[in-house]
Amino acid sequence: MTHDQGAFKVDYPWAKIGWISFAVIIVVSSLLGFVVLSRYQQNDASLDIWGAICRGLGITFDSGSTGSPQPALRTPTNVAWTQVTLDQVRAGDPERGAHVALNCIACHEGTTANPAHLIPALDGMDATSIFKQLADYRSGKRLWGVMDAIAKALSIQDSADVAAYFSTRTGQLQANLPERVPQGGRAFRQSDPAARLVFAGDPQRGIAPCSACHGPGGFRLGAPPLTGQYAAYIERQLGSFAQGIRHNDIYEQMRAIARQLTPDEMKALAEFYGKRNSTLVATE
Amino acid sequence: MYNSRRLALYHYWVAFAVFLPAVMLGVWQMLMRSPLPAPFDDSNHYYASVTLHGTAMAYVITTFFAMGFGYAVTATSLGRPVRGITAAWIGFAICLTGTLMAVAAVLSGKSSVLYTFYPPLLGSVWYYSGATLLIGGSMIWVVLMIVNMAAWKRDNPGKPVPLAMFAITATAVLWAWSASGVELEMVGIVLPRAFGLTTQIDAGLARTLFSVTLHSIVYFWLMPAYIAFYTLVPQAAGGRLYSDTMGRLTFIMFLLFATPVGLHHLFADPEIGVGFKFIQSFLTFLVALPTLLTVFSICASLEIAGRHRGGRGLLGWIPALPWNEPMILAVGLSLVMLGFGGAGGLINMSYDMNSMIHNTAWVPAHFHLIFGGAIVIMYFAIAYEMWPRITGKPLHSKRMARWQLWLWFVGMFVTTIPWHITGLMGQPRRVAIFDYSDPLLAPMAPLVVISVIGGLILLASAILLITVLVRSQVGEGMLQTPLRYALAVNPPVRVPKALNGFALWNAILLMFMVFEYGYPIGQFFVLKSSVPVYEVSQQSSTPGVR
Repeated sequence: MTHDQGAFKVDYPWAKIGWISFAVIIVVSSLLGFVVLSRYQQNDASLDIWGAICRGLGITFDSGSTGSPQPALRTPTNVAWTQVTLDQVRAGDPERGAHVALNCIACHEGTTANPAHLIPALDGMDATSIFKQLADYRSGKRLWGVMDAIAKALSIQDSADVAAYFSTRTGQLQANLPERVPQGGRAFRQSDPAARLVFAGDPQRGIAPCSACHGPGGFRLGAPPLTGQYAAYIERQLGSFAQGIRHNDIYEQMRAIARQLTPDEMKALAEFYGKRNSTLVATE
Repeated sequence: MYNSRRLALYHYWVAFAVFLPAVMLGVWQMLMRSPLPAPFDDSNHYYASVTLHGTAMAYVITTFFAMGFGYAVTATSLGRPVRGITAAWIGFAICLTGTLMAVAAVLSGKSSVLYTFYPPLLGSVWYYSGATLLIGGSMIWVVLMIVNMAAWKRDNPGKPVPLAMFAITATAVLWAWSASGVELEMVGIVLPRAFGLTTQIDAGLARTLFSVTLHSIVYFWLMPAYIAFYTLVPQAAGGRLYSDTMGRLTFIMFLLFATPVGLHHLFADPEIGVGFKFIQSFLTFLVALPTLLTVFSICASLEIAGRHRGGRGLLGWIPALPWNEPMILAVGLSLVMLGFGGAGGLINMSYDMNSMIHNTAWVPAHFHLIFGGAIVIMYFAIAYEMWPRITGKPLHSKRMARWQLWLWFVGMFVTTIPWHITGLMGQPRRVAIFDYSDPLLAPMAPLVVISVIGGLILLASAILLITVLVRSQVGEGMLQTPLRYALAVNPPVRVPKALNGFALWNAILLMFMVFEYGYPIGQFFVLKSSVPVYEVSQQSSTPGVR
């Protein structure tokens, strides 16, 4: 007895239907996905079948060695924020760091050696930033005459200690405290072009807001807080990034941003961060 | 209900007890994102809340609801006691323990990794262990569903398994396939790192494994609603099911197509090749087939009922339906939300269109409308149908139940339509704070405020739901009418082996999985893409290193 159930007969060969449907679905979707789509999707010259299949699998020319010339690999820094690195920074002892810092404060704090304020203030600097810069000087990723020699004399533990020492000091730099919306807001409506760049960036030029990483309000591991830093120092660093003289920024993000800035904007940004300090000092 | 009564009741109560606070969290999150002032205004609280809301709604409520529903269906559809009742209680205890561990870890603020885990974010080991226990404990339920169906088939050789039992077993099998991804991710990648056994985490592999779960879990949530469509709705309408075979094919197709499609959640992930993204996008479109089949056969079943009740003419059967029954009202509202949400889903799953709305508010709008709307409203209707059978007391008030369903329907649209629009305007999801004084964001502000109002309507509906259930349980009266499932127009006399079990379909699904996921998962063993973790629990606790 074949019992009719709507449109479906009991005695259909379900196993055969199932497996044939499976095969058809796999073959059709694979042809479309690996051959048609992968081969013709790009605007430039279409790939051969083998290249298209590789592309469909996710193997592209830059994932293997190819004949085409590749730019030389340049690593901007040897520091990566792995657990090991973070543990090294955390192991810093501020009391020991105070002794190491005796070498630093002559230039970084004294005004006689730093009349033009081209040497950055370190009091209140984030520990990871100091640790990274010392590591970069030591490995030659950042070049600045005397600092290279000083950093080479410091062990990893010394760097962590001195980083911890400066991070615990208060004074010049203001730590980036989380604020919901910092004074002045983040709006594009800012009349001051420097404030607009700091809090809103410039999407049309691909410039992220400075405050997202450098404060106020934002923080990113390894990025120094800038509020209260010397204006002359900031301006010179922006110029160095723009010209590629300084190149120890991971993923080139500072070089990419600084290249987009006009000299006037660099000056205005430097003064914005520098001035925030002076106004605050005045009110205190 | 035999021995399943208390079991089902406990599972339902856990589900609904978690539901109300989870809705409150959702409303508060909307308030946080809106220009209105919100209490506890802190973005860390927001991410903890999103984690808790997602964990509660996606894992806790759905798993407990499906398990309770499964035990009730097993006893009532097979007409005999559930086998393995002790194991079922052990499973309940494991799931509850896991839930409490996860909730405590999130409340401590050390696990704000969101319910999709997002490695290389790393939260508390308690959170991951809790989630693993909750999902692992539900595997006992999976085994019990299969055991009960197999035992019944042994005792009734040649007879077709009742559609409700066949469907709930399909749900269990689907859940086993689905959960395999997240369990592998937890046990193989995240837990070893959380316990400190490894130093790095392969975020790409973890995300790919989670994608196995990410889409099929939605169908695990959806299946109880579809079981109600096929087996309870025609009965409540006073008619018959249009076709038993169509029901079986629907559940088989869900089993086949729900799992090997998860890569459409990873369209922006660079590790996965375009070919696999396209193939899984293609397969995702096939998931529409069982849904369309269901819409067709439910409408046909309702038409049979409407004409039986005296409806005449082309559309005269629609007003003839018993709209005062919560189940019928729910199915009508559910189908409307399914239509809107499904249309949005077609955009999400399309490889190219997805890039317009990827990671915007459009995406939560879509899944709130589909899951929070179309599916959850059927959960309510199932609860109204099952509650009197479990407690032995009649439903407190059908009128209140209808109000509750309408409020949920309206609230869900008022909440999610603005999200769809702000999503198209580019508003990102999972972000706590927006500065609406910004001219780019200012046009979104009124829309976000409207969705807060929608959230409040949803909260009112949730409170009404709990009120109806509590008052029914403590109420007077006795109810003895047993739960009846809809008969088909042509009740099945014999069905082929393939439509009475899952061996063939599991074999085909296995081949699908090998083909669709073999390479995308296997490549990570060559890619060496492990990265250091970012510990959310240590963000603010270490001086110097923030």
